[in-house]
Amino acid sequence: MHASLEQLRERIVDLLPRLRRFARTLARNPHDADDLVQIAVERALSRSDQLRADASLSSWMFGILRNAWIDETRTRGRRNQVFAPEELGENVGDDSSSSHADVLSVQDALARLPDEQRIAVGLVLVEGLSYKEAAEIMGVPLGTLTSRLARGREALQGLLADTTGAQ
Amino acid sequence: MTFSEETLMAYADDELDAQTRSAVEAAMASDPEIARRVAKHKALRSKLRVAFDAVLDEPTPQRLVDTARGVPAVRREGNVIPLRRRNTTRKVWPQWTAIAASLALGIIIGQVVLSRGPGAGPITARNGLLLANGVLAHALTSQLASENAQNPVRIGVSFKARSGAYCRTFTLQASQALAGVACREQDDWHVQVLAQSAAVPQSKGNLVQAASEMPRLVMQAVDDTIAGDTLDAQAEAAARDKAWESGSHGTDATSPR
Repeated sequence: MHASLEQLRERIVDLLPRLRRFARTLARNPHDADDLVQIAVERALSRSDQLRADASLSSWMFGILRNAWIDETRTRGRRNQVFAPEELGENVGDDSSSSHADVLSVQDALARLPDEQRIAVGLVLVEGLSYKEAAEIMGVPLGTLTSRLARGREALQGLLADTTGAQ
Repeated sequence: MTFSEETLMAYADDELDAQTRSAVEAAMASDPEIARRVAKHKALRSKLRVAFDAVLDEPTPQRLVDTARGVPAVRREGNVIPLRRRNTTRKVWPQWTAIAASLALGIIIGQVVLSRGPGAGPITARNGLLLANGVLAHALTSQLASENAQNPVRIGVSFKARSGAYCRTFTLQASQALAGVACREQDDWHVQVLAQSAAVPQSKGNLVQAASEMPRLVMQAVDDTIAGDTLDAQAEAAARDKAWESGSHGTDATSPR
């Protein structure tokens, strides 16, 4: 039992880069993202008995991270804060796609999505998880996941003034 | 054949069964519009990957590794607990930092600092901030670095932070040797960083503060926040005599980096 906790710790250490990457899709500020990872790691270790033997550690950890994020945002009423900061407001363009200065960074664009869309995008498009894994982590049916993903994608395409396709 | 946008996204995400995949591929070959829509979804996918993959190449912060390995938050020299993120220009997450700090701090504050009951210890928590209290507050307010001998609190350097506030480093002998940085804000000393400092066992089992050794990362915190140079003895005494009144308050609104 002791040895397996040690193994778990090392596997979590190995996962830290990916946890940090996923956290960065949730919290725009890198410090906040790392704080989130720290909270998730602490929570995971405190309930390591809940990790089923056959479960994927990464899915389990992403789920804890996602829940930690939702907990924090709920208690804070984040929407008032995250959608208002000056750094985002200044970057809003006037939709004149000719001006590159107006194009949002991918990070800023993602930060504007509603949580559930952003989480779907983060899990599938950034972390490369399957729809099934992502739906399980989010605790939603597959159809819900795909529609959130579709809406998130659509919103991002609009925000990023993508030039690879239309026009 | 027509496909829903979700089907084309699923193709880009490699989520289709073989049969549907072939159908999409056939349609892409014959219909440039479908090929274009698929390409758009793939492009977004790779754009996101590129934007976030850089995180994987960053060095993992030691505090996260320590957390995963169960290294106690205050265990060794150089392991610093940031009590407040430096440079609080971003006001977006004040509670967040307090929560993160309180997790890490539970360990030492619970065991060391607040163990003597509320109000009695050298550090006290109020409104999510850690404030110097008792002997520590007294020393920070009135003690000069030249007066350290025989005092339980030793003052290191004093300096003016970019925020305009005066800050001082200190070491403190509680049940562990602690070192940190505190800054004067609105008549309180806000403890910004606290770390266990190197302490050496002495005969009779007492711990004494290792000479002048400030934990490296406490000094780094100083480097990160200092405006100009540390105060010399004369300037230190002058600042004390003016009760650490900074004069130019909070004029610095520069961005964090």
